Amino acid sequence: MFQDFKSDGFMFMLAVGIVVFVIAQSLFFMIRAAKRGKELGITKDQIKNTITSSAVFSIAPAISIAITVLVLSVALGYVLPWIRLSVIGAIQYEVPAAEAAIEAAGISGGIGSPITDPKVFVAIAWVMTLGCVLPLVLIPIILKKVQKSVSGAVNKNAKWADLMSAAAFIGLIAAFLSRGIAGIGEVKVNEAGEKINVTIGDGAGVLSLAAIISSIVFMLILTFINKKLKAKWLEALAMPLSMILAMGVVVLISTFAPDLAAIEWRY
Amino acid sequence: MMKKRSYMDSVHFYGRIWCVLALLALFAVPILMCVHLKVWPDWGVVASGFASVAILFYPTGVIEVIAYAPLLGSGGTYLSFLTGNIANLKLPCALNSMENANVRANSEEGEIISTISIAASAIVTTLIIAVFVLIFAVNPGFTKVMSEGALAPAFKQVTYTIFGALAASYFVKHWKISIFPIAVLSLLLVFAGTIQIGVLIFAGVAISMLGAHIMYKLKWV
Repeated sequence: MFQDFKSDGFMFMLAVGIVVFVIAQSLFFMIRAAKRGKELGITKDQIKNTITSSAVFSIAPAISIAITVLVLSVALGYVLPWIRLSVIGAIQYEVPAAEAAIEAAGISGGIGSPITDPKVFVAIAWVMTLGCVLPLVLIPIILKKVQKSVSGAVNKNAKWADLMSAAAFIGLIAAFLSRGIAGIGEVKVNEAGEKINVTIGDGAGVLSLAAIISSIVFMLILTFINKKLKAKWLEALAMPLSMILAMGVVVLISTFAPDLAAIEWRY
Repeated sequence: MMKKRSYMDSVHFYGRIWCVLALLALFAVPILMCVHLKVWPDWGVVASGFASVAILFYPTGVIEVIAYAPLLGSGGTYLSFLTGNIANLKLPCALNSMENANVRANSEEGEIISTISIAASAIVTTLIIAVFVLIFAVNPGFTKVMSEGALAPAFKQVTYTIFGALAASYFVKHWKISIFPIAVLSLLLVFAGTIQIGVLIFAGVAISMLGAHIMYKLKWV
């Protein structure tokens, strides 16, 4: 009777509602910022470049997020994971959150088997919602204070503050890069006591290193060309282009040298 | 000066309203599901599931707000915390835009560029996810192509391509303060390779800021 309740018309309407909400909020802030930008002397071209480069930049990561919907769709259908990954969701949170909720409901299959009981399904929806809302409660209360203390520090010593924000971002980059160089992916130990690599491509290995090195090289080349040609459009697209070219390198390696591509030194 | 204050104040004013609306919209989802399916959950199950999720994610939720807000700017923070995927998408996107536009993260120009960048990113991301999910739903064959086809390995590595490209522009500019955090984190991973990325990010940010602060005091940078 409830065969398809996870992905019926009503559920799709809910998701569409959320999509409209997100786009409305983004447009609201974008238009206001663009107006204020004009007053501050930011040129139309700068705004256009920002929009273009951000939009192109987001395409590949967005597709990879959409693929995570597939991971969760076995258990939860398409719509709930879609909603969850469109608002607040992050890949690294939604999967463990769904697993915790399924486990709490006393179902053993984890996210690998379909949820057939609507009562369990709505419980999972509640857990995933409650689990992610904290920032939305926190931000209206503390953001203004946090930003005030930051701008206080900036006014006191601008050079130090700029250095600290660069350092914070470098720390973030370093975290992801070092994971691609030396991080361990998902591993299970079989009955014979041997380690088995559960997911190929999630631990540090040939593919992660190839992705890192080739995107660095492409970015350096494009930045160099950019400096020579002084092409504004290229500047805006250097980053997304480097990403897409580096993804091409990964595809080439995994297509023409699958054995090499499967090497992961940390799994 | 007066004008500046009023724009930033209005960002907080409208940001708060949107947060409340977002909370209503978020809770409307499970409530409407229950009404539609005419079934309510076992609240004991919800409580125990919530407890294990909260232990995992609530502490990082607090740290994320404090750590990312100064980098994202106020408008950017209100926007990115609604749509998520901050560390792996919104933040790199905003920083790349500020770098291209040649504006400082801690200025009002930075605030404007960051807000526009994150808004554009959020719109594109939301639309792409929607389009792909709709295709998945009507065409199971496409599902297989995306999860097992020739392009699938590339999408698994997309985060590394983002941070590789960012490293190229950031490390070249700030190479002095970059060496220390990369060395420390790589060493850390050699001995404890399974550290979760969330923890790794905070370790990275803390180590990097500490290193930069010491170098600043020693007048190396």
